Amino acid sequence: MNGARAVFWLYLVVILVGVAYAIALGLMGR
Amino acid sequence: MSEKSRGFLRDNALSLAFGAVFLATLGGQALSGVADFNAQQVADGLDPISLGEYLTSSSFGVDVMENWQSEYLQFFLYIFATVWLVQRGSSESKKPGEEGTESDKEQRVGRFADDDSPEWARRGGWRTAVFSRSLGLLMGGLFLLTWAASAVAGWAAYNSDQLGQLEDPVGFLGYLAAPDFWNRSFQNWQSEMLAVGSMAVFSVYLRQRGSPESKLVGTAHAETGQTG
Repeated sequence: MNGARAVFWLYLVVILVGVAYAIALGLMGR
Repeated sequence: MSEKSRGFLRDNALSLAFGAVFLATLGGQALSGVADFNAQQVADGLDPISLGEYLTSSSFGVDVMENWQSEYLQFFLYIFATVWLVQRGSSESKKPGEEGTESDKEQRVGRFADDDSPEWARRGGWRTAVFSRSLGLLMGGLFLLTWAASAVAGWAAYNSDQLGQLEDPVGFLGYLAAPDFWNRSFQNWQSEMLAVGSMAVFSVYLRQRGSPESKLVGTAHAETGQTG
């Protein structure tokens, strides 16, 4: 289990940042 | 884990390789996306925009999110459907007769847990109830989040188009009822359903030597859920 936990959280963070970014662009009406 | 660790890169090669290709293809989408966007701008008699402006536009946001949402919908549905539905002979399926959530003993839950079982599989109560559904809950939650993001970004992109064509913008609820939103959703959903269904049935008769997505090459067509 060498570092799988880090990759797990990396994926989750990238996904959630992507979602937040897209929502922010939409709400700003860009 | 009983397997011997062989270093971070080799131990996580599958996730890391797909992560790297994800970033590369997202870059490809950005470059081709701004070119396509500007071709439309010129056709509409509007000024082209820079890559930076495109990457901070809702047009880019909705194009990314509409694809993400369909992928998480696909995994969410597949995770749940494969609990209850089987495909006889498929590497993707449980054996006929095993439909359902199975017994605690079969699932090594609560007092049937092993010494190295996850803490929440052993604890019982709400923790085990949540942990027992955590993969589906995360995929379902990510589907709802990404679909909501595609709606919000799609709304802004739609209104930007409307204004560019000197037409009235719509409210958010108006966009949720607009053909643009549902066309974006359905065109992504249909492809996921086709891909999943075809994978389930193609794996009955076809093999990929060495892949855990396939049955062993010599496995009988009628044998279900035997992975290589």
